[in-house]
Amino acid sequence: MTGTDALEPARPKNAARAGRRVRGTATLVVGCVLAGAIALLALVSLFWLPFPADDTSGGRLTGPGEGHLLGTDKLGRDLFTQVMTGSRIAVEAGLGSVLIAAVIGVTLGVLAAFAQGWLDDTLSAFLDILIAFPTLLLAMLIVAARSATLGSAVLAIGLAQSAVVARLARILVKRVLAQDYITAARTSGTSWPRTVLGHVLPNIWPTLVVNLALQFGLAVLAEAGLSYLGLGAPPPNASWGRMLQEAQATFTTAPAGALAPGILLVLLVIGVNLIADGLRDTLDPATRRRRT
Amino acid sequence: MNIKKTSLYATASAAALALTLTACSGSGSGGSASGGSWDKNATVNIGSLYEPQNLDNTAGGGQGVTEALNGNVYEGLFKLTDDGKVDKLLATDHKVSADGLTYTFTLRDGVKFHSGKQLTSDDVKYSLEKVIADDSQSARKSNLEVIKDIATPDAHTVKVTLSQRSISFVYNLSYVWIINSQAQNLKTTEDGTGPYRLDKWTRGSALSLNRFAGYWGDAARNQKAVFHYYKDATALNNALLTNAVDVVTSEQSPDSLDQFKNNQNYKVNDGNSTTKLLLAFNDKAKPFTDVRVRQAVSAAIDDKKLLESVWGGYGKLIGSMVPPTDPWYEDLTEVNAHDPARAKKLLAEAGYAKGFDFTLDTPNYDPHPTAATFIKSELAKVGITVTINTITPDEWYTKVYKNHDFTATLQEHVNDRDLVWYGNPDFYWGYDNKQVTQWVRQAEEAGSAAEQTELLKKVNRKTAEDAASDWLYLYPQIVVADSKLSGYPLNGLNSQFYAYDIKKKG
Amino acid sequence: MARYLLRRLVFLVVSLALASVVLFVLLRLLPGDPANALTSVGASPEQIAAARHAIGSDKPLPEQFTHWLGQLASGDLGTSFVSSLPVGPEVSARLDVTVPLTLAAFVLAVLIAVPAGFVAAHKRHTWYGALLSGVSQLGIAIPVFWLGMIFIAVFALNAGWLPAGGFPQDGWSAPADAIRSLVLPVVTIALVMSASLIRYVRSATLDVLGSDYLRTARALGSSFGGAMWRHGLRNASVPVISVLGIELASTLLGAVVVESVYALPGLGSMLATGIAQHDYPVIQGVLFVSTLAVLLIGFAADLVQRIIDPRLRGRLSGGAR
Repeated sequence: MTGTDALEPARPKNAARAGRRVRGTATLVVGCVLAGAIALLALVSLFWLPFPADDTSGGRLTGPGEGHLLGTDKLGRDLFTQVMTGSRIAVEAGLGSVLIAAVIGVTLGVLAAFAQGWLDDTLSAFLDILIAFPTLLLAMLIVAARSATLGSAVLAIGLAQSAVVARLARILVKRVLAQDYITAARTSGTSWPRTVLGHVLPNIWPTLVVNLALQFGLAVLAEAGLSYLGLGAPPPNASWGRMLQEAQATFTTAPAGALAPGILLVLLVIGVNLIADGLRDTLDPATRRRRT
Repeated sequence: MNIKKTSLYATASAAALALTLTACSGSGSGGSASGGSWDKNATVNIGSLYEPQNLDNTAGGGQGVTEALNGNVYEGLFKLTDDGKVDKLLATDHKVSADGLTYTFTLRDGVKFHSGKQLTSDDVKYSLEKVIADDSQSARKSNLEVIKDIATPDAHTVKVTLSQRSISFVYNLSYVWIINSQAQNLKTTEDGTGPYRLDKWTRGSALSLNRFAGYWGDAARNQKAVFHYYKDATALNNALLTNAVDVVTSEQSPDSLDQFKNNQNYKVNDGNSTTKLLLAFNDKAKPFTDVRVRQAVSAAIDDKKLLESVWGGYGKLIGSMVPPTDPWYEDLTEVNAHDPARAKKLLAEAGYAKGFDFTLDTPNYDPHPTAATFIKSELAKVGITVTINTITPDEWYTKVYKNHDFTATLQEHVNDRDLVWYGNPDFYWGYDNKQVTQWVRQAEEAGSAAEQTELLKKVNRKTAEDAASDWLYLYPQIVVADSKLSGYPLNGLNSQFYAYDIKKKG
Repeated sequence: MARYLLRRLVFLVVSLALASVVLFVLLRLLPGDPANALTSVGASPEQIAAARHAIGSDKPLPEQFTHWLGQLASGDLGTSFVSSLPVGPEVSARLDVTVPLTLAAFVLAVLIAVPAGFVAAHKRHTWYGALLSGVSQLGIAIPVFWLGMIFIAVFALNAGWLPAGGFPQDGWSAPADAIRSLVLPVVTIALVMSASLIRYVRSATLDVLGSDYLRTARALGSSFGGAMWRHGLRNASVPVISVLGIELASTLLGAVVVESVYALPGLGSMLATGIAQHDYPVIQGVLFVSTLAVLLIGFAADLVQRIIDPRLRGRLSGGAR
């Protein structure tokens, strides 16, 4: 859950660049189809649901069949309805966390990159500790402080991920700053905000976007884990993690509830990861001019 | 992780007993009465969700320490049997003076502590003083503060003088463990007189008891009893399904019961519980100051349907705070029964024809969120809008219980004989009826059990009519066991679980 | 090297000191009253005050903090508010579960991921190379608790081969039982962990395969295997080791979920209970020990990297920076 994918070494050289582009596009398409399908489900759930969310008239654990596509849960609520609202919570959790991670992470990373000497050392050591400190523990503390809501979970995941993003941003910025033309610009008196906006950000965003896409998948997984532990969106919200936790008791007798949310969760994360891979291959400057 | 389940250890400050003075041991606890041969040296593995915090019940040991040690390792002067009677245990006789203020207890002969020391009246005096000491965290402390003086005329006699009459004094003594006055480190070790001695406690995992060879009464029917602790019901049921445990002390959800019901290797027992789920109004906060509003809300909610969806056929409706095992039980489900038309009428009379809004503080663990969702949809039908505010057990204690800062809340109350809290106007739900307060006090100072029962029946009816709270339902008490087992307790009154009568077929 | 070691040690101690201050302050900022866990319904204000006094939460914060530091200095992790039992012995008992669980899962994950990652890179154009990459994609996307649920249903409930959860009361003095109860949790963690490791190993290998020095070595007549062994392995392992360090640390701390699924009495479940009960000494104790472990693992990972790759010498912290 720490998202060390951030620093995956870039892949080989120019030789296969064209091939990578093509494969990248294919990966991107598959990823978009998978993630898009679930995003669509989430979108539809805003306007239409097969049954009202708190309709308990379906009977206990009916199993898939007529009327109820996936059957009902132990309270008689339609499982497909819950899976749909769950997809919305998953997408919200992913987007929210990534937004927090992006804003805080990039800011911290840029600051650390401009800092020098012991300050730089301290900041990066701090980030290292934060990265090793799992999202879950941070979330538990935040939940203890703010009570278990989706907001608390998203905040915790976003904060934990911002450390990963910050570390990546710091390295990327340092790499850009080391370039001759930037050094020239800085010595000639360009203010550092202008340096950041004019030179640094345009150079680092493709790598950042790829990483943020990976963080999205990790955030979705993290939220499911928290909800499983009862630290995510409180019931009766149908978070996938919570659905899985509730269905665990009836795994062998009524498997639909314990399988459907898990499968969708896996599909969503794979989809987003494929998008990230595809983006890396088509977008990431590191694959074009490696180790400049 | 599951947020730890914090139940309410409400205590009965006034409670009477039908004192049934039967022989001390061997009174039949339940369990499937399968005959045949059983293994005298069996190990019985018991699965539970309630691990002790420590082993001292006056130092915050919690529900788990009662379950594991009460009656098994420690014994009182009296014991509460599984069917709710109070039997003599370490006391063989007791006399009450005419004014009801002096109790003289005669101690059983030949009782030895696990350390080998003989039981004397000094140990009894020490144990009683431990419960009412300043630093005691015993849930029974306030009940026993009526003790004015403890004298020990000789090694076999204890004489207790009370500052006022207390008809539930003997009942309350069944919660007081008699401990060796010389014992040390009671948080991690023990020195009691029970049929088992502590073998080992591995925190986070298990607590094992071994048969005590020097026990004064009938020896335990098994060599070893091991309590295995789990954090959630699923892990507990999996343990039972894979034979890691032989019996589950109390099922907390009906989800897995189908797996056991249709399997002849297991027996599902439906016993009597004392745990009630309450929709507790703040009777001092608008609009619940108006009795008609409370009645309307009670009548608007279909308790039967709620019970069905939470417990799927198990459990019971009682319509009041009193479970059938309390002597003053009466079926009051017809008072404020489900009747949406009447609810609407009552609301109109109270000036809320168009309904109103309120916030329901809901503990974040099951079944509260489910019940809250259900209540919300039921009350919407009569025009009342509910906002569900999910809170942690910790927040509940601070916000609701201590600060009374709430409009309505959900909470489970686990103890028997806890109707008497309605006689305390300072209790969190703020029910303040002078007549009820007086009845409760008179009941505690009553001269006979019959008189006490009569008074508490009046309290019960009055609070039910006033809809002091809405008593949604009584939980079931479900013990699931391997069918090789017999002699286990079925009712788990006040969380105790006597293991010594459990027989396991070889 | 000696100077580096010294600097690194000073850094370790300073980080630990900082972490303990942050830990203490953060915890005290949480709302809620630890005395709540101690009192029951019917508790009078006097009883609550007595509970507060008994655990010392009525004292001013600086006094509580210096008290805690004093205890730490003498190797004492304090006494739980809730159980009033010492925290230290319980932490060490819990480590008996968590440390073997983490290490075994880690070793297994490495044993799976290094060969698999190498094959996935070297044979990336074959069907099994592609399959390995695909499986690792799947592995990253599976929630660890869900895999655990499935394993329990399949291997414990249906097949009855292994326990569904729990840890023997006699612990490691019943080694067979202890090992049996850790098999499923170890495999669960290892599979999920190896999925992401495979990707690193694959990338690192691809990096090396395309590198100039490997080409040069081969042009100079080394066999592929020989060149890989002499140059490739060393170079590929540097970034992988720093990732491994982080993975190990986060598994140690992140075992909460797996411990919850498999009902294991480890450090994670102790922490979870501590947080639920606002039991500050327990939370502080567990997190302090965990932070120490994380820092030590980072330290070890740095040292190993430095020994393998001399180019890193002279920098304070090596690896993926």
